[in-house]
Amino acid sequence: MSKRWGIAIDQNRCIGCWTCAVACKAINNQPLGTYWNRILTSRPNENAPTTAPATLAIDVPHGTFPDVQLAYQPTSCQHCQNAPCEKVCPVNATFRREDGAILVDFERCIGCRYCMAACPYGVRTFTWGEGQYAPEFAVGYGKDYRSAGRLVFTPQRPIGVAEKCTLCVERIDVGKQPMCVDACPAGARVFGDLNDPASAISVSIQQQGGRQLLSELGTDANVFYLPVSRPNKVRS
Amino acid sequence: MKRERRQFLKGLVGGSVALGLGFSGLRFLEALPAEGAVPAAEKIFRTGHNTNCDGACGHQVHVVDGRVTFIEGAGWETNIDGRAAQTFNPRICLRGLSQIQNTYSPDRIKYPYRRVGPRGSGQFERITWDQATSAIAENFQKIQTQFGRESVWIAPYTGALSLLEGVIGASFRFASVIGASAGDFEGDNEGDSAGPAAFNYMLYDPTAPANSGGLLDGHEYTDLLNAKVIFLWGNNLAETSIPDWRTVCDARNNGTKVISLDPRYTPTAAGADLWVPVRPGTDTALIDGMMNWIIQNKRYDEAYLLKYSVAPFLVHPKTKLFLKHKDLVPGGANKYVVFDERDRTIKRYDDPTLTRASLLGTHSFGGLQASTAMQVLADTMSKFTPEYAAKITDVAPETVVHLAQLYAGNHPAAIKCGFGLSHWHRGDLTHQALLTMATLTGNIGVQGGGVTIMSGALLSNAFSGLGNFWNPDGKKWVPLQPMAACDAMLFGKPYPVRAAWFMIDNYAQQMADRNKVLKALKSLDFLVVSDYVLSATAELADIVLPACTYLEKTDLLGSFNYYLQYMPKVIEPMWESKSDLDAFGLVAQKMGVGQYFQKKPDDYIKDVLAIGDPKAPESVRGLTWEQLTSGAYRLNLPAPYVPYADKKFATKSGRIEFYVESLLPYDQEVCDYKEPIEASPNNPLYQKYPLVFLSTHTRFRTHSQYANLPWLKEINNNGEGFLEINPTDARARGIASGHVVRIFNDRGWMKVRARLTEAIKPGVVNCYQGGWVTRQVKHYIEGHPNNLTHQIANPAQSIVPNFPSNAAYYDCLVQVEKAEG
Repeated sequence: MSKRWGIAIDQNRCIGCWTCAVACKAINNQPLGTYWNRILTSRPNENAPTTAPATLAIDVPHGTFPDVQLAYQPTSCQHCQNAPCEKVCPVNATFRREDGAILVDFERCIGCRYCMAACPYGVRTFTWGEGQYAPEFAVGYGKDYRSAGRLVFTPQRPIGVAEKCTLCVERIDVGKQPMCVDACPAGARVFGDLNDPASAISVSIQQQGGRQLLSELGTDANVFYLPVSRPNKVRS
Repeated sequence: MKRERRQFLKGLVGGSVALGLGFSGLRFLEALPAEGAVPAAEKIFRTGHNTNCDGACGHQVHVVDGRVTFIEGAGWETNIDGRAAQTFNPRICLRGLSQIQNTYSPDRIKYPYRRVGPRGSGQFERITWDQATSAIAENFQKIQTQFGRESVWIAPYTGALSLLEGVIGASFRFASVIGASAGDFEGDNEGDSAGPAAFNYMLYDPTAPANSGGLLDGHEYTDLLNAKVIFLWGNNLAETSIPDWRTVCDARNNGTKVISLDPRYTPTAAGADLWVPVRPGTDTALIDGMMNWIIQNKRYDEAYLLKYSVAPFLVHPKTKLFLKHKDLVPGGANKYVVFDERDRTIKRYDDPTLTRASLLGTHSFGGLQASTAMQVLADTMSKFTPEYAAKITDVAPETVVHLAQLYAGNHPAAIKCGFGLSHWHRGDLTHQALLTMATLTGNIGVQGGGVTIMSGALLSNAFSGLGNFWNPDGKKWVPLQPMAACDAMLFGKPYPVRAAWFMIDNYAQQMADRNKVLKALKSLDFLVVSDYVLSATAELADIVLPACTYLEKTDLLGSFNYYLQYMPKVIEPMWESKSDLDAFGLVAQKMGVGQYFQKKPDDYIKDVLAIGDPKAPESVRGLTWEQLTSGAYRLNLPAPYVPYADKKFATKSGRIEFYVESLLPYDQEVCDYKEPIEASPNNPLYQKYPLVFLSTHTRFRTHSQYANLPWLKEINNNGEGFLEINPTDARARGIASGHVVRIFNDRGWMKVRARLTEAIKPGVVNCYQGGWVTRQVKHYIEGHPNNLTHQIANPAQSIVPNFPSNAAYYDCLVQVEKAEG
C-alpha cells in the first residue's frame, strides 16, 4: 500500500507558542505578513473559526474568570484526501500526490485564486507583489524543489502564485519530518503514515481519538487533532 | 536569475487573469536556474544560544556563502566519560529560530559612535575603534584618579550569559585588572535573587567562604519525569521555558498531575490539570496553610525530618538561638541538643545513648521551656487554618486542603518556580516556605522532588579556572550590585560611581524604578554601552560600541543545563562589531594592562575548564578539546541531575535549616507569612491604587531582547504593548478593549491600549515587560512598566553577600484610567 502522510497535532500538549509557525516561515522564506501555518484558539475540542485574524489577542480565553478555557489550534493546509482546492483549480496546478501531499505547481498556477475561495480552512496565501523580507536574502531550504518534474518550491516566494504548506515534501522525500514537526518544542506533532496502523501517528489517533477539522464537509483531512483531555480540572 | 524572474512576473501579474489559461505554464520558462548550476556549499555549525534564557538551547546553524540561512535545534552528545546519558531532545523555540533576524537586523549598531548632542538626544557621530577605545581609556583613568578606582562600574548583565561574554565573563577580568567595581556574576539582583537567597538561608551557610557568598542549584528539567505531581508555582513555563513543557507533558503521560498557581490564566494554566488563581503576593500564606494541614494531619516525613533537618533541635526560649549542650552543662560542647523520648532527657544530638529524638514537643531545662524547631514551626503555622489562608489568598479553603493533599499525598512532588515569586519584596520568604514544605514532606535531595528555579546552575563546579580568569595575579573587582550602583551614582554611597560600561544590558529600562535609574545614568560623567542594537541605555551613552551577536564570536555556554556548549564563531562579525573580549583587550592595552588580554578565546576556555589537567574537577575530568568543539558533551554527572542527592548540606548544622538563626534580627527565622511591602489590600495606599501591577514575560521576547524582530513582532500585536485587565475592572473605569489607558502611581505613569481579558484575576493588571522605549522605537505609547516599579529591597537578604537585594517588580500598586488618544 502506498503511504498516506499525515500529521497529528496533540492539543493536549500545544501551548500556542507559534514555534511551528515561525519554523515554517523560516524554512520556506515567507515574507512578512504571510503565514502558511498559524495558531488559532477555541474552546477545547471545538473548531476554531478559520476566518478570524490569527495574530490578535492570542491568549484571550473563553468564559468568565475563573471559569475559563482555552485550546490552541495550529492551522495550516490539512492535505485533504478530498481537497476542494484541487477540484476548483482550472489549470490542474493544485494536485494531490499519491502519498496525500497537496501541492501547487508553480509553473501552472495562473493566480486565479479559486483555490483560496474554495479552501474551508483559509490556509492559502498569495503573494501580490514584491514582498518584504527580513533578512533580505533568502533563508530556509534555499533551493528549487520538483516533485515528479513539477516545480513545487522555490527559495523566493513567487508573485502571482497561490501557496500553502507543502508538507515539506523536500524534507519528507529524503526521510526527514516536516519542519514544524521537528521544531515543535512541546512534542505536540506526530508525523507519519496513516496507512500503517502501527505507525506512531495511527496509534495516537486511535488511542486518543483524533478528529479532523470540519469533517462534516467531507474533506477527509490528513491532519488530525488529538483532543484536550485534562482530568481533575478543579477550580479554587 | 531569480531577480529577473520576479521582475518578469511582476510585469505579468496584472494581465494574467484577463489573458486566461493560454499563458499557464509559460511564466517560469525564462526564469529557471541554469541546468547543472552548483548550489553554494552549506556548512553546519553547532552552537549554544547564550541569551538570558534558561532554555540554553543548542542551535544547529546552517551557513551558505558566509551567511546564516537557517537555525534549528541541535542534538546532545553523551557524557564526557562515554557513559550513555538519557535521551535529550533537541530544543528550540520561536525566539531561537528568529535569531537569524537578530543578527541581520537593520537595527544593528554597525560602528562605534561618540555622543555629540546632549545626553539622550540621540545625536552621535561615527568614530573609529581606535578613537572610541582611547576615549574610554582616558576617561576611565581620569575618573579613577579623581574619584577612586571603584568609581568606574562595569556592568555585564544577562544579555549574554556565557563564559567569555556577558554576565559570567571577561568583564570581571577587566574590572579586576583596572580595580573597578562590578555587578556580581550570579548576584544579579534585578528581581532574580530573592529565590536564590532562600536557598542560601536554608541549604548553605552564606557566610562560609567555601560557599562563595551564594549558591543555587536546581533539578535538571528531565527530573520532572520522576515527579508524581508538579506544582508550577508562579511559573509560566509553557511560555518562558517552552521546551521544558514537552517534559511536563511526557510526565503527565505517566499519570503525573500538573498544577499551575498563577493569578493569570497563562498558556501554562490552560495546559495544567488544575489552575489555582492565587492573589499575587500571598503565596507564602497559601504554603503556610498547606503546611499547617500537613502538620495537623501528620502527613510529614518524620524520619526524614529527624535525620536531615534541624526539626528535633531544641530552640532556646530566650535567645531564640538553637540551644547548645554548653547552655545546659558548664563546659559542655557547642553542639545542638535534642530530647530523647526514651529516657526523657535532653542530650547532644550525637550522644551515643540517644535512642529516639523527639520531633515535636516542649521540654523543660533549668526552669525554662524549650521547643523543638519543628514545634516552633508547627506553632507558627497553626494560625493558618484553611479558612484563614483562604481569606488572605482568595483561594477557597477546600482548595487549600486539596493542594496540601496533592502535595503531601504524592511523593515525590516537584515544585518548579521561575523568577515570578522572586519579583516580590518578600520573595525570599516565599521560597523559604516552599523549601520548608519540601523538607516536611521529604522532597529535598530526592529524584522527582525539590524546589527548582533554574534547571541547572552556572556550572561553577566545572569552571575550576574561573577564579584565575576573573582575578589574574590576585587582582579583584569590587562587588557592587545594580540597585546599590544606582545609589552610588546618585548619592555617592557607599562610594561615588561616575562612569559605567554596560554590555548588552538595558539598565535604563529593565531596572526597577526607571525614573530613578534614568536620573542616575544621566548624572554620570562618562557612560559606555556595548550592544548590538541601540537600546534605551545605549541612547544615553557617551560612547556606543557595536557588539557581536552569539553567532559572531567564540564563547562557551555552560549554564542552565548540564552540558558544555562550545560556541564557535559561526560567521565573521558584521560591519565593525567586536566581541566584548576584543573590546576589553583594546581598552586594557591603552590603560596599561593589556598583558591580561593577550590570549585567544579558545585558550581562556581551555584554562577555565582545565582541559588536559588530570586534576580537573571530576565533572569535567577527561574532557578533550576535540570533544568540546565537536558537540555538546554532558558533564560527568548522573542524569537527571538532582541537587543535594547526597543529603549533605553546607549549613552550620549540616542539615536543612528551616529555622534560620541568622534571620532572627529580621523576624524571619521561620516562614511566617508577611504582607507584601506595597501590593496588599491592607496598605493604606491601596485606597488610592487598588490594582496589583504585574509586568510579566512574554514568549515573544527575552527581557528586552528580540522585541524588534519582525517574525516575533507580527505575531505579537505588532510589538505594541498592552494592558491586560479584567472586564470587571475595566467596566468600572469605562474602559473598553483598544482604549488608551493611563497606568499610574506616585512613582510614575505609562500609557498603552487596554486588552480586556478574563485570563486575569480582578484587581490585578499586567503589562508585558521588555518593550522598547527608545527615541526611534516605542512599544508603549508612553513610558514603560518600570516607571511604576520600585527599588525597595528586603534587608533580610543582606545576609547573603551575593544576593543582597532584590527588585520587587510585582510588589506594586497602580490605578488605571481611560486616557485621551
